[in-house]
Amino acid sequence: MSTTRAYDAIVIGGGHNGLVCAAYLAGAGKRVLVLERRERLGGAAVTEEVFPGFRFSVFSYVVSLLRPEIIRDLELPRHGLHILPLESTVTPLPNGDYLGQWADHDQNRRELARHSLRDAEAYDGFGRLMHQMARAIKPFLAMTPPDPASLAPRDVAGMLRLASRLRGLDPQHFHALHKLLTMSAADYLDEWFESGPLKATKAASGIIGTFLGPRSPGTAYVLLHHYMGEIDGVFRAWGFAKGGNGSVSGAIAAAAREHGAELRTDAPVARVLVTNARADGVVLENGDEIRAKLVVSGLDPRRTFIDLVGAAHLAPEFVAAIERFKFRGSSGKVNLALSELPKFTALPADGPHLRGAISISPSVEYLERAYDDAKYGQVSRRPYMDIVIPSLIDPAMAPLGKHVMSCFVQYVPYNVQGGWTDAAREAFGDTVIDTLAEYAPNIKSTILHRQVITPADIERIVGLSEGNIFQGELALQQMFFLRPVPGWAKYRTPIRGLYQCGSGTHPGGGVMGASGRNAALTILRANA
Amino acid sequence: MSSHAIVIGDDIDECVAAQYLARNGLSVRLLHDRQAQQPRFLQTGWIAPQIVRDLELSAHGLSIDQRDPWLQIELPGGGRLELTRDIARSAEEIGKVNRHDGARWAAFCERMHALATLLQAMYAAPPPEPLASTFAGRFDLARLALRVRGLGRQGMTDLFRVLPMSIVDLLDEWFESDALKGALGTMGVMHLCQGPRSGGTALNFLHHHAGCPPGVFRQPLSNVHGVLRALPGPSMLEGRALRVIVEGGTVEGVQLATGEEIHASVVLSGAHPQHALLDVVDAAWLDPELVRAVRRIRSRGVTAEVTLALDRDPGFTTLTIAPSLDYMEHAYDDAKYGRMSREPFIEARYAGTAEGGEHPVHVHVQYAPYAVQDGTWDAERAQALGRTVLDAIAAAAPGIVSSLVDHTVRTPQALEREFGYPEGQPYHAELALDQFLWMRPVPDLARYRTPIRGYYLCGPAMHPGAGVPGAAGMHAAHTVLRDLRTRK
Repeated sequence: MSTTRAYDAIVIGGGHNGLVCAAYLAGAGKRVLVLERRERLGGAAVTEEVFPGFRFSVFSYVVSLLRPEIIRDLELPRHGLHILPLESTVTPLPNGDYLGQWADHDQNRRELARHSLRDAEAYDGFGRLMHQMARAIKPFLAMTPPDPASLAPRDVAGMLRLASRLRGLDPQHFHALHKLLTMSAADYLDEWFESGPLKATKAASGIIGTFLGPRSPGTAYVLLHHYMGEIDGVFRAWGFAKGGNGSVSGAIAAAAREHGAELRTDAPVARVLVTNARADGVVLENGDEIRAKLVVSGLDPRRTFIDLVGAAHLAPEFVAAIERFKFRGSSGKVNLALSELPKFTALPADGPHLRGAISISPSVEYLERAYDDAKYGQVSRRPYMDIVIPSLIDPAMAPLGKHVMSCFVQYVPYNVQGGWTDAAREAFGDTVIDTLAEYAPNIKSTILHRQVITPADIERIVGLSEGNIFQGELALQQMFFLRPVPGWAKYRTPIRGLYQCGSGTHPGGGVMGASGRNAALTILRANA
Repeated sequence: MSSHAIVIGDDIDECVAAQYLARNGLSVRLLHDRQAQQPRFLQTGWIAPQIVRDLELSAHGLSIDQRDPWLQIELPGGGRLELTRDIARSAEEIGKVNRHDGARWAAFCERMHALATLLQAMYAAPPPEPLASTFAGRFDLARLALRVRGLGRQGMTDLFRVLPMSIVDLLDEWFESDALKGALGTMGVMHLCQGPRSGGTALNFLHHHAGCPPGVFRQPLSNVHGVLRALPGPSMLEGRALRVIVEGGTVEGVQLATGEEIHASVVLSGAHPQHALLDVVDAAWLDPELVRAVRRIRSRGVTAEVTLALDRDPGFTTLTIAPSLDYMEHAYDDAKYGRMSREPFIEARYAGTAEGGEHPVHVHVQYAPYAVQDGTWDAERAQALGRTVLDAIAAAAPGIVSSLVDHTVRTPQALEREFGYPEGQPYHAELALDQFLWMRPVPDLARYRTPIRGYYLCGPAMHPGAGVPGAAGMHAAHTVLRDLRTRK
């Protein structure tokens, strides 16, 4: 056992939030050490050559929500971040038709009008309102949530500021925000559109990462959450990171390194050292002790408090609250190496539709039925899928002429009946391929390799509890000053010197980086 | 000169509104449409004490029947679980089924009651106006904020966490027994087109707890409607409102189906806003945005009623068939796609001997979606529903079979026809977080006023609405009286 020199801060977990936090702390002159369990940095934002020549954004696969202030502050483009736009979404339908949503306004309008004139009329208004709502919510993302139950001047002032911000909204927006926070995605979209495929494709972003069906209240917020993306000042812009999502983490890591942070991989932390109710370092799994003035955890709340700190150091009510925090991973991934491009029945030619997202979401009822299977512990027999082919946009992702395809799949319950055995994983993979084959019959003959990732795999490999991609469900009762635990939503913890910076804190997940940044700013204010 | 007021409808809210107006010097006529509304034998819901006091209902024979035991369920292994308002005794009973649950009962009752008490306070006033700019409005908001703070850390945490939750998540945090969770869960989905796993069902649970004593999660029955109708004051007028007469943006009166015009400077309607605004008012007076919002009010009926006529006492006062939360979720799965639940949740209540010496048992059946897939609620479907219910009750209380004389089935469409429930939904606007408080039924109508001067809404679609009968009528009447004072 050896003891090494002290740091100002140790960041546990080299995911994007941990790296963002480390970069800001190092930028402010702190001596920072990042400890990553795996052999590579990035957490769920990694690029791996899973099969020779085929590189995948294994877990998270698109970029949108990454906060522009982080891109600016850390000068990420200079460190290699290059985002290529992802412009369209095509929803193939069982009847051989399709619904396209295109970047070109006129083309989009013509396409929507083919399905419903009314929807074509409503589309711009909907986009405008969502844009305005995202703008209205933006200030809250960078806010440290005040504690409504506290009488401390800072909290009272924070609550008043919050109230006056909300009261400052114009009534129409205030009510729209209320609706988005409380309604189901299906009901909300019913107010705007009539075309089934359009409603379903929009509703699908309301179920991502949650264990709710599109008709359950609470899903409209998740829909809005996915509209908060901003690239180069354009809201609701989704994109690919050139080189895969690993290059997002790579750029943040490079910025952190440039500021002097030390980044160590293959360094699993066994526990946080707590002396006199104060965190003063960590013990690695190999027994090494590393001391620091403070410890920041980028892991989810369960990992942080139950596994690394230990219930013995915490009040029973706090432990109970952490145990109540819901994860319920509901999504999986299937990554395919293809010998050639798939041919969709609806659009058989190799057209621009393959350069955007392909959404398997023919109707809201389809999504709802997918949820029905999952709520009783089965993988959806016909799941929702969000598919992209990154090699068409960034050819370096696959050998010349070949392709990589990423399928995000839901619902894939963590608590599947019978448990996640190898056979269950393969059966899930088959379900995905069979579903895909209904829309692109040639898919089976083009598959060279497939990688199937279940929520249990996400938990095992990345460390996200129950495989929840947001480090905890994005439900209203787990947001803002309730995330992860009421009274401890300000990146601090009951252990002095221990902070949290993962997406299990406000404002939550989606390769956003806001939690990491907010945590760093909190730490710097408290330890100037 | 006293003002003339017409109240359209004579359900509980309308009667309460008429009483308040008449007692404040208005000459009030209550428009009773015999075809649309029949008086209910007994009404479910919490009567706010303010109304009982102001209208002296107790002196006029109001009887409130808070069942005790309030819950009786048959346990799967035989035996019956009975819960009473005596928390310690209920805890003991639950403890026999599941020790852990019995030990948690008292704390659960206390924590839920703290939240229900807050709701009660909010129901005793018109909805708060979060964007209020007037002094009075800001004052109300500040008072609400202080009240919420007064819950303390535990209570506030419960409030913010529980309101958006699903009833499954809430009950799973507290209890283990499927039987207990199933029976409690029924209140979370009562009259709601959602399953127990849907967000917002915990709010519905608390809503139905408001006004109940701690440890009781069933609303009382009462004869309030009959008592109200017998009160002197407003004059009754039979007829159907064909049109609300509007001149220059101000209400002038009501035209009846017979063509007769009755003039009044104040008109209140207890009908669903879609009817009260879109059917009987010339659309030219309404902003298209408001029309759109009113059209979007969700009112999906999901219940049917069965009445059993027995020749003797059934041996229970209440009987709930909802063996687990999964059972109810499955029942919802059917309804979600437009089918009657193959295994519905059932709640039977026996309220004692009726006038003719019969022993009627009233059965609430959910889910029976108003809009059934392929077809309508024809006689065949109604019969099948009746059989399902009889079989389920016979299995739980076998003694009932030989005492059954007759039974009648009311499908959601029959409920609409006979009692005027739009889409068979007695709550008019579903009770969900987006149709709650200042959003009920839509933001622009939340304060009982319509864009037409002198025309008000007072039915169950208004805050606090269904489950708190009469409160919307009282708030609407107070609004009218305030407006009359300031107008002078």
